[in-house]
Amino acid sequence: MIVYTVEDLSVRIDGKTVVENVSFTVEASQCVALVGASGSGKSQSCLAPFGLSPGIPGGSARLGDTELIGAGRAILQRQRGRDVGFVFQHPLTALTPHLTIGTQLSEAWQQAGAEAPSREAMIVALERVGLDEPESRLDQFPHRLSGGQRQRALIAMAIAHNPKLLIADEPVSALDASLRNDIMALLDALRREDGLALLLVSHDLATIDRHADQIVMLRDGRVEESGPAALHLAAPTSEYGRELVAATPRLTDPPPTLPETGAPLFVAGDIHVSFPRPGWRKGRVQAVSGASLTVHEGEALALVGGSGSGKSTLARAIARLGPVDTGVVRWRGDPLPQRKRMSPLHRRLIQPVFQDPSASLDPQWRVSDIIAEPLRHLRPDLAERGRAGLIKQVLQEVDLPAEFADRFPRELSGGQAQRVAIARALVSEPEMLLLDEATSALDVLVAGRVLDLLEKLQHERDLALLFITHDLAVARRLCHRIAVMEAGEIIEEGPAQQVIAAPTHPVTQKLVVASRA
Amino acid sequence: MRALLLRRLITAIPTLLGVVILSFVLMRLAPGGPFDGERALDEETRAAMDAAYGLDLPLGEQILLYIGRIVRGDFGPSLVYRDFTVSELIAQGLPISLTIGGLALLLACALGIGGGLWAAVRAGRWQDEAIMGAATLLTALPVFVTGPLFVLIFALGLGWLPVSGWEAGSPSHLVLPVVALALPFAGAIAKLTRAGLARALNEDHVRTARARGLAERQVIARHALRPALVPVASYLGPAAAGLLTGAVIIETVFALPGLGRYFVQGALNRDYPLVLGVVTLYAGLIILFNLVADLIYGWLDPRMRAE
Amino acid sequence: MMRSRLPLLIVATIALAALIVPPLLPWTHSAIDWDAVRAPLFSPGHLFGTDTVGRDLLARTLVGTRVTLAVALAAALVALVIGTAWGAIAGWYGGKIDEAMMRLVDGLYALPFMFVVILLMVVFGRSIILVFIGIGAVEWLTMARVVRGQVIALKERSFVAAAEAAGAPPSRILTGHILPNVAGVALAYLLLTVPQVVMVESFLSFLGLGVQEPLTSLGILVKEGADDMDLQPHALLIPGGVLVLVIVCLTIAGERLRDRLSR
Repeated sequence: MIVYTVEDLSVRIDGKTVVENVSFTVEASQCVALVGASGSGKSQSCLAPFGLSPGIPGGSARLGDTELIGAGRAILQRQRGRDVGFVFQHPLTALTPHLTIGTQLSEAWQQAGAEAPSREAMIVALERVGLDEPESRLDQFPHRLSGGQRQRALIAMAIAHNPKLLIADEPVSALDASLRNDIMALLDALRREDGLALLLVSHDLATIDRHADQIVMLRDGRVEESGPAALHLAAPTSEYGRELVAATPRLTDPPPTLPETGAPLFVAGDIHVSFPRPGWRKGRVQAVSGASLTVHEGEALALVGGSGSGKSTLARAIARLGPVDTGVVRWRGDPLPQRKRMSPLHRRLIQPVFQDPSASLDPQWRVSDIIAEPLRHLRPDLAERGRAGLIKQVLQEVDLPAEFADRFPRELSGGQAQRVAIARALVSEPEMLLLDEATSALDVLVAGRVLDLLEKLQHERDLALLFITHDLAVARRLCHRIAVMEAGEIIEEGPAQQVIAAPTHPVTQKLVVASRA
Repeated sequence: MRALLLRRLITAIPTLLGVVILSFVLMRLAPGGPFDGERALDEETRAAMDAAYGLDLPLGEQILLYIGRIVRGDFGPSLVYRDFTVSELIAQGLPISLTIGGLALLLACALGIGGGLWAAVRAGRWQDEAIMGAATLLTALPVFVTGPLFVLIFALGLGWLPVSGWEAGSPSHLVLPVVALALPFAGAIAKLTRAGLARALNEDHVRTARARGLAERQVIARHALRPALVPVASYLGPAAAGLLTGAVIIETVFALPGLGRYFVQGALNRDYPLVLGVVTLYAGLIILFNLVADLIYGWLDPRMRAE
Repeated sequence: MMRSRLPLLIVATIALAALIVPPLLPWTHSAIDWDAVRAPLFSPGHLFGTDTVGRDLLARTLVGTRVTLAVALAAALVALVIGTAWGAIAGWYGGKIDEAMMRLVDGLYALPFMFVVILLMVVFGRSIILVFIGIGAVEWLTMARVVRGQVIALKERSFVAAAEAAGAPPSRILTGHILPNVAGVALAYLLLTVPQVVMVESFLSFLGLGVQEPLTSLGILVKEGADDMDLQPHALLIPGGVLVLVIVCLTIAGERLRDRLSR
């Protein structure tokens, strides 16, 4: 039974057409996924027909027998409350902070005109979405719940009025990998049990491959391919589809060829890091407790873990860019000095690249000055001329034209900015790069190209990499070994293929299952 | 919440003590002041001062003595108003100042929140521009300009309302002072409310509420209003201080027998005990009001109650 | 572009007039024209008329504007320097230092500052220097809070960590990365502080506690105008109008700059 039909949909924002000629249908129990890079119009195609985005829709979108396009505000508003439910990307901000979970669930329950629910009924509803302690959750404010718990509560609210269609806009991309799987499994169960139709927006091909029946690939607002998900992901028919698939590393990809590794580069032993508790409370929070790591010359080590597992803190402690309580770091056998005592010679050894390229470049500085900064401090022997030469060379190495040297960060796209950040890290010729989620803030295709660049540099420069990521598949693409962190400890470490093929720790096992497409 | 309030109280007490001690020491140091032995005072005042402040004791003990008196509500004798103690002047003037200030605060909140909401709902249209333009103008209107101007227009010109005086708080005598005092604060609150609601309406949780099929009116009332008013709540503390200060001018312009007017007279005539007493009292009032603002804050945003 | 610069243009024109015009006028701000006491608007020789004792109101308004603006600018700069230094130090060092420094700001914030300033006047006598030190000392609090917040936010930005990795010493990170990025917001708040100070100075002068005769200021002129408004309303309206215009224009300019930077 067809629940939702979209025909020749177009969306315009400020006179600009952002979606054009998009058609698809969603049947009961079915999951249809809209895929595409950011700016491809996938969210707009979902939200605009319901009046939930500033875009103005054209064409046709029918929910059951009701035509949404051209319907008045009052009708749209009623439709939103009746046969459709919505789940959005950021569970941390999607709940009203000053209303309890119970109040909001009750409001959602009554949106289609139902009687106010009994407490028991609401407890059952929360139990169904797998929220623990549902009884006490009812009286809690949202800030007491974790991200995963909030997303469960939001799903309970989205289906409280028994809609026929659920629209989920990137429902799991803000969650940790292990949680993603649970939430997607919950959505699968709802489809199976209630016959709920699911329209899923996602940029994550692994998730789609696993859960979607049909796929619609969008590029610049137009359909590039559509049809059965498994078929199109295995053998994309369009160039764009192939690019998308290629840009998404998967655990099923053939094993990569990695450069040879040499003698141990650094050994970090028994690192402890703690932070003072925020506010007036006494005591400290232990962020890293007793972690040890070794990286060899030319080796790439992935540090994998969920958010808050301490992976960034550990890496910064090793690179002397963050606090450390106790522990030793030996660089080729010699102890690395403490953060405040790092000499230029020491600083040159490790250079970082961070997650958000827009935050890692000073907006007031030109690209040439940004790249020159390490040279100025770490290579005082170089004259102005020598610096300019190196800057030109390194820009070329990261595939940016030389005229980018005169630009300001605001004139760069996300991918270009990240290339500048990589250039800055490379210019002083370090022996190791610290890559802190260096591709996860980037769009799929851009992230894929940055990964290609890193792979090239790894081979050409004989660079060691300390690669922090939450994504096992990305880790596998570049890294010889994987270390998994959880609650400040390294719980498992070994050759990448081995950790993925035969994880020993339950947390790793869950992570592998969640990442396996 | 209780922890937050406790924390505020813990900072409030040293603040208040600091004010008292600082003011007292300043007074003691003042050249030519009543504490200065060289200034000729008549016997009666001298004796009263000695009794009140124990001027022959060491400074530390004098401060302790003074604090002890304040706690019992005794601020000593007034030097200008010879027949009154400072406490008696406060008892007379404070109710008048609080009436004017309180009414002005209510009016400012009503006008400001109402106007701000109206403008935010009509964002981008002419009503929005008009209200926000007016709000900016209002915040720039000092009470010492609007006060006399209102008298000129509404009392002297049109003759609708009395020029000045208190008349036991008769409503017609209250209108001009209260309105003149409230307007700049109404403007500031309108701006905060407008910006707060515009921000709140763009938040994710409002989209969730809209997706639930709620009418826009319900969305605002249930989901957007409280977060929108958080900046207004944090403005209430400074607003209270500003209102007490503005009341000084208003009482001067409209010849109202409030505490502010006694304060100005005291300041112009170096009536140290009076000035000291009023500063201490007002510091206490403002701290108290900040605590109330914190309570409102906690109601608006439960995340503040945590910890 | 024209529209966005208009407020600052108006203030600049007023300030320039206050600076240049008075020496060109036939009357100084304190000279008494015995033949023209309470001269009406547009009288010969007295464009704005004269006050109750025959002093030229145009000269008085211009000189009063000059004094008010000078005091305001000086006090705002005091606030800028103290506030930026205080906020930058607290935000940069963080931890206990930050806690202690901002606790003090919180405490001072809770004070009825106008009353403390008046208290100071009572104790140390009335002087224009004390007026602006007092005001500057009050107004730095907001600046300190804003700058601290900015510095903390900037410190978390990863370009600071990248600069550390690049071997830049802390002093260089502060002067090269943090302060330039704070400058815009600090300037916006400087623009917003000036009208605040204008208001405070006029307030004190209105009560007779600020600028003293023979010097004059907009606050004094408003007070004098108010005392005589039933006979000569323009003596209140002109200085009052200039005061409001200056405050409105600076507020608009400051808010626009602040909003543009916070976007």
